Amino acid sequence: MIENVLELDQVSTVFRSGWGRGRRELTAMDDITLSVPAGETLGLVGESGSGKTTTGSVALGLRRPTSGTVRFLGRPFDRRRGTAGQIQAVFQNPNWSLNPRLTVGASIAEPLSAAEGGSLSSHEDAVLTMLDEVGLHRSVAERHPHELSGGQRQRVAVARALITRPRFIVFDEAVSALDVSVQAQVLNLIKDLQAQNGFAALFISHDLGAVRYVSHRIAVMRLGEIVELAETERFYDAPEHDYSRRLLEGM
Amino acid sequence: MTGTVAPIPRATAAQAARRGLRRAATTLDPLATVAACVLLAMFAATILARLVGLGGSPTEIVGTRLAAPSLAFPLGTDSLGRSLVPRLLEGIGTTLLLSVIAVAITAVLASTAGIVAGYRGGRVNGTIMRVGDMLYAFPSIILAILVAAVVGPGQVAALASIVLVTVPLMTRLVAVSSRAVADRDFVAAAVISGVSTPRILVRHILRNVAGTIAVQGTYALSIAILVEGGLSFLGYGVQLPGSSLGLLIKEGTTYMVKAPWLIVAPGVVLVIAILCINVIGDSLRDRLEPRETRSLV
Repeated sequence: MIENVLELDQVSTVFRSGWGRGRRELTAMDDITLSVPAGETLGLVGESGSGKTTTGSVALGLRRPTSGTVRFLGRPFDRRRGTAGQIQAVFQNPNWSLNPRLTVGASIAEPLSAAEGGSLSSHEDAVLTMLDEVGLHRSVAERHPHELSGGQRQRVAVARALITRPRFIVFDEAVSALDVSVQAQVLNLIKDLQAQNGFAALFISHDLGAVRYVSHRIAVMRLGEIVELAETERFYDAPEHDYSRRLLEGM
Repeated sequence: MTGTVAPIPRATAAQAARRGLRRAATTLDPLATVAACVLLAMFAATILARLVGLGGSPTEIVGTRLAAPSLAFPLGTDSLGRSLVPRLLEGIGTTLLLSVIAVAITAVLASTAGIVAGYRGGRVNGTIMRVGDMLYAFPSIILAILVAAVVGPGQVAALASIVLVTVPLMTRLVAVSSRAVADRDFVAAAVISGVSTPRILVRHILRNVAGTIAVQGTYALSIAILVEGGLSFLGYGVQLPGSSLGLLIKEGTTYMVKAPWLIVAPGVVLVIAILCINVIGDSLRDRLEPRETRSLV
């Protein structure tokens, strides 16, 4: 049996705002159950407001779910203990993903120095290795983010996520802001690195083409619920749910 | 495949140094450079007065009472026959020193509170902002008088008043900037990586709001000079036989008709100091917060 790196078991997240008569509740995740085994990518698709990003932040431990359990490597999830460096994320906006005041090398080194201690500059070897792996020139380490293109910045974000050799990575709209050709490069990079490192990944996107390219299985979310969860091939050949069909037709 | 990404030519140390110099030279526009020079001249004059007695003794009675400006006494003499030049130089020193120390304290307090409020958001932010609102609700001079009543008139009262008057605005602006930075993905990435909160606050938030702190610091300095002036003018700030710009103006008002030079000189210095500081503040703002446009008025 394949080991599940991340398991969500009947997880619900409800946002509450206001009080008294103005009180509103919004269910962003409704009884979600899913799992991601090592070496596999689960694609999570759905329109804006369907709860994709909330699912991502619950999986990352940034948000505590209202009910249900999240298990990481079989143990109930506790962010503050022992997961440092095992879980990483790559986010959407290449302009916001890196601290403009830090050099690229320092940004990449940060997760490693958080997990293993030591100053940002003491992990230079690991940083240079990572730059090689993501196909960037070593001199990039000395640069600041504004000197790089969007695609290069996203590669840097991938390098930062991978430097601790995590077991699980969330890609939240990681290529949506890039040109199509650059998207393909970054998606290829993600696939290659996954083949090398065997991490589990949650790939969140509204772009069905990109999801199909990197995912082994696809989950479709709508209004906080998973309406279909299937192998990628099966999903694109014969979607079962009405909503999935409409999504695919809209491509 | 991922293919090759063209190597970026590595900047040589010499190029980087040249860039640094050019950056320093273009940090202030010409007007702000003049303003900075004027302020530096004021600092230099007051330091020289203290060290080598430039202008003579500030407490010695040297001439007739209320003598008009002359060669011997370039700014005239006051009601006790003391020359105004050394009194003014000492006053500039007291006012500037008090203000700078107070603004330094403000900067530390407001940055800490603002960054924590902006990063944490929610209730922490709400609590800190409401405390700021309470301080805001008092007119600054009333707040200053209240402080003087509690701790007793003097330099400590002036210092504490300046801090209380300047902290709320600076805290609020730092909190707003910090909020904007805290929403950025690199902060979330750091949280996920397990970077400790103090590290995140310093490395990611403080570094990115440093420009706001510098700009607000200069504006706070001009407010500080005004508050010190107002408080000393009312008699709650710096006490005789000391000297400060506010105290000199207060003394001058008594003989405003008979000896107008006593009020004109410190008044002009006060205006010039505040003008210079605001010009520098505007220049820093244009430089560090380029998206904020100048006001239309």
